[in-house]
Amino acid sequence: MHIYAFGSVCRGEIDHSSDVDLLAVVATADGRFDPLKFSVYSYERIRVLWREGNPFAWHLFREARLLYADDGRDFLRFSEPGAYTNALGDCVKFRQIFVGAADALRNGSASPVFELATAFLAIRNVAICFSLGCSSEAVFARDAALMIGEHSLVVEPSRYAILSAARVLSTRGTGRCPTPNEIESLVVRFDHILSWMDDLISVARGQNERVCKPG
Amino acid sequence: MSEFVNRVDAQRAILAAVNGRPWREELLGLSSEAIRRWTEVNGIDTTSDINKLLRALSERLAFLANKSQEHLSDEYLRGSADVLQMTEALRASLDSVASR
Repeated sequence: MHIYAFGSVCRGEIDHSSDVDLLAVVATADGRFDPLKFSVYSYERIRVLWREGNPFAWHLFREARLLYADDGRDFLRFSEPGAYTNALGDCVKFRQIFVGAADALRNGSASPVFELATAFLAIRNVAICFSLGCSSEAVFARDAALMIGEHSLVVEPSRYAILSAARVLSTRGTGRCPTPNEIESLVVRFDHILSWMDDLISVARGQNERVCKPG
Repeated sequence: MSEFVNRVDAQRAILAAVNGRPWREELLGLSSEAIRRWTEVNGIDTTSDINKLLRALSERLAFLANKSQEHLSDEYLRGSADVLQMTEALRASLDSVASR
């Protein structure tokens, strides 16, 4: 059994909404771990993620900190994950998730905070996948979208804060719910955010084509 | 990735079932903390079927995907079926409360 901390606390991203993400790697199902507190993965699943070069594998490889190992070894450093080659596909899929949330909000969803939180997650994950697959520096931070250099999302801080706060509301249950006016002011900027995603996807597609071109 | 999309859709359906009714505050998410907030703000009995079902759904979804990462296992399909069944039970509980 291996137990790790990962996520914001390992990056020093601390605020009142911070939690401690915990990962347990186990040989077989282990009922001692509360799934609400631990991400529980089997050794085999971790090996598969590593072989795939999955972004989560890279996230753990780069940032996870060992808390306990029953064999005294740092299991997650047994080898570097495989190359991440699916940035284009993953960015496209997270774009679809963003579009789903945007459509729900435009159609008057009864769960606007959840939809804003989903939009935030999609934005963050597009940035993470892009940085991991298409840039020289992988960024896994909560605000990855603002931290990928020339490809960063440019959006008014007050509007970005509404998105970020929605994620905290949805996951931590803390904070003030946005007003209808605040939500509306954000939704009108969704086309701009979509354009940003499309720009990143275009870069990722261009890199794919160069890699695949013979010679 | 398709599992990730499925989980977003599953959460959306559960929240739509709850938030389609008039509450003091919407259910903000399916984390235990969001459910606790919703329960407190709306004066929901913590021993009610609705509360128990929401917590069970929260736990099942957490099992299926922790912290937005794909989590595949042999139990995945069984877990997904559980979510559908529990969502239906939640709708029935909400209908029952509304008809009182």
